[in-house]
Amino acid sequence: MKQILLAAAFAALSSSAMAPPTDAGKYQVALGDCEGCHGKNLAGGVVLTTPFGRMVTPNITPDKDTGIGNYTAEDFARAMKAGIAPGGKLLYPAMPYPSYARMSDADIAALWTYMRTVKPVKNSVNVNQLKFPFNLRFMMRGWNMLFFAPAPYANNPAKSAAWNRGAYLVSGAGHCGACHTSKNPFGADKSTALTGAALLGWFAPDLTSDQGAGLGSWSNADIVTYLQTGRNNHSLASGPMAEAVENSTSKMNDADLKAIAVYLKDLPASRGNGGGATGIEAQMKSGANLYDISCAACHGRDGKGSLIFPPLAGNPTVRQVRADSIVRMVLAGGRGASTAKAPTGQGMPSFAWRLSDSQAADILTYIRNNWGNRAPAVSPETVGHIRSALRSGS
Amino acid sequence: MQIIARALSRRRLLASVAAVPILAASADGRTISGELPWSPFAGEPPRPVNPLGWYFFTPGEAATIEAIVDRFIPGDHLSPGGKDSGCAVFIDRQLAGSFGQSSRLYMKGPFMPGLPTQGYQGDLAPAGRYRLGLRALADYTNGTYKKDFRALSIEQQDTVLAGLDGGKIKLKLKPGFSTKEFFELMLQNTMEGFFADPLYGGNRGMASWKMIGFPGARYDYRDHIDKHNQPYPKGPVSIYGQV
Repeated sequence: MKQILLAAAFAALSSSAMAPPTDAGKYQVALGDCEGCHGKNLAGGVVLTTPFGRMVTPNITPDKDTGIGNYTAEDFARAMKAGIAPGGKLLYPAMPYPSYARMSDADIAALWTYMRTVKPVKNSVNVNQLKFPFNLRFMMRGWNMLFFAPAPYANNPAKSAAWNRGAYLVSGAGHCGACHTSKNPFGADKSTALTGAALLGWFAPDLTSDQGAGLGSWSNADIVTYLQTGRNNHSLASGPMAEAVENSTSKMNDADLKAIAVYLKDLPASRGNGGGATGIEAQMKSGANLYDISCAACHGRDGKGSLIFPPLAGNPTVRQVRADSIVRMVLAGGRGASTAKAPTGQGMPSFAWRLSDSQAADILTYIRNNWGNRAPAVSPETVGHIRSALRSGS
Repeated sequence: MQIIARALSRRRLLASVAAVPILAASADGRTISGELPWSPFAGEPPRPVNPLGWYFFTPGEAATIEAIVDRFIPGDHLSPGGKDSGCAVFIDRQLAGSFGQSSRLYMKGPFMPGLPTQGYQGDLAPAGRYRLGLRALADYTNGTYKKDFRALSIEQQDTVLAGLDGGKIKLKLKPGFSTKEFFELMLQNTMEGFFADPLYGGNRGMASWKMIGFPGARYDYRDHIDKHNQPYPKGPVSIYGQV
């Protein structure tokens, strides 16, 4: 009886309501991108480099000694939604419990049902390798008081069902803001949600409807295609987003992807990327020459790319206020998402051996201010900093 | 009975022979499925040579080689000469590296005379052939002109080189390594240095590529495919992206 009620509650929110609870729970794993941090087998051990030090993700398989085999349903729900593990241990918000707090009890329950069926893996993890004083867990009590207001998702009656479903997924299980919302010095979300943010040496793009840096020129179908396949006519998912697409969004059903698109397209435009650079004639001239001999063969002289090679003209990744992601791609190379519908996972080679800091800066300034793109110039110093950070492996 | 035993042993022999390449292949083979492999900073670009100093030649040898490459490719209105193009530096770096040691060739005996089409068959790697050849050349010019090659007049240098090429001069080398072969080795390596990518030390400023209109390491000609009978308008690009 309880299960029927649970399924009925689930039906109100998910289009995969007819599936048995473990499938429903498995779908929640995809929505929440659990594998992204806890690994394909959920046994943890993935290193997260944060501004506060290193964290290693814990084992969340039902192993009794090293996993969460001793959790009760209530323990699990409390960890997911309040950030508190059994024994009162406070989780760090690298675990996106501030987002998961918005998940419905039914979704959490379905997820728990599935988590009990995962194959237990013995893998002991030393989670907390943070720098002092961040390694002191009790400090999270203060953080939670300041920045954490747990509240389940509240339906907005003024908006459509799809909008509400999209908002629920984006702000809840999908925890898109974990990367795309900029953080204050304490690592908590700023109020400018989903306007883009720098983290882990990448810049997660602006997802608002801003025309310059955001998704203003994308149709709803463009967003669905991107999340489902990892690419569309505007861009190609790479870096952490490639992983998010592979583990999470490519496994979402069409209705949910369309709901996410409806919600994102309704986000008010951000303040943009600061507009085009001025006084960059020399960089543009040098960049045009270098683009011609290093980039044009794949991305095209017109910057339009092709089915395999992502376009640069109109590509939001190129036009963000900060150029971290594209500097990184030019220096280290990059790999696109590999999904069932677009399995190639095409790679871009490294150009670090061939381009000096100022040459890379010229090329990037050129592509950020050509073919209709307008974004701030990239300086050789920025390239130099990112080059040494990448080389030192941080 | 004996026939059956022989047949079995033959079958076993064939089976074992067949197994050898299978085993060898499995040692090298690598199966890639799903997505393409990729890793950051991947690639093994050739490293540009340091243009300063000599790695293999002694100062005397270097001066002789510089004089020789400048006679093979004299500077004129078409291009700088072999010396200013870096051909001697190119040869020096090649002799100091894997080419000089024949590290990719089987270099153990027995050393048998080969056919002319088979190239050099002796025990000396190129580094040894240059060392021997340049010493023999110095002996010859000092014996004949009382001077090192580099101190000869241009006419005398040309006479000596023509003699090495045409058979009039026989240097004291060793069996299996003729004077003509030494001349051809130097000429071949000079041309390589003149036309190779600048990162190897020769072809400075891509002068030879500019001379012949070779566009170098450009790789996208789609804009020009339909422009028949028109010269390609763009200058050369080196592997390291110099223009």
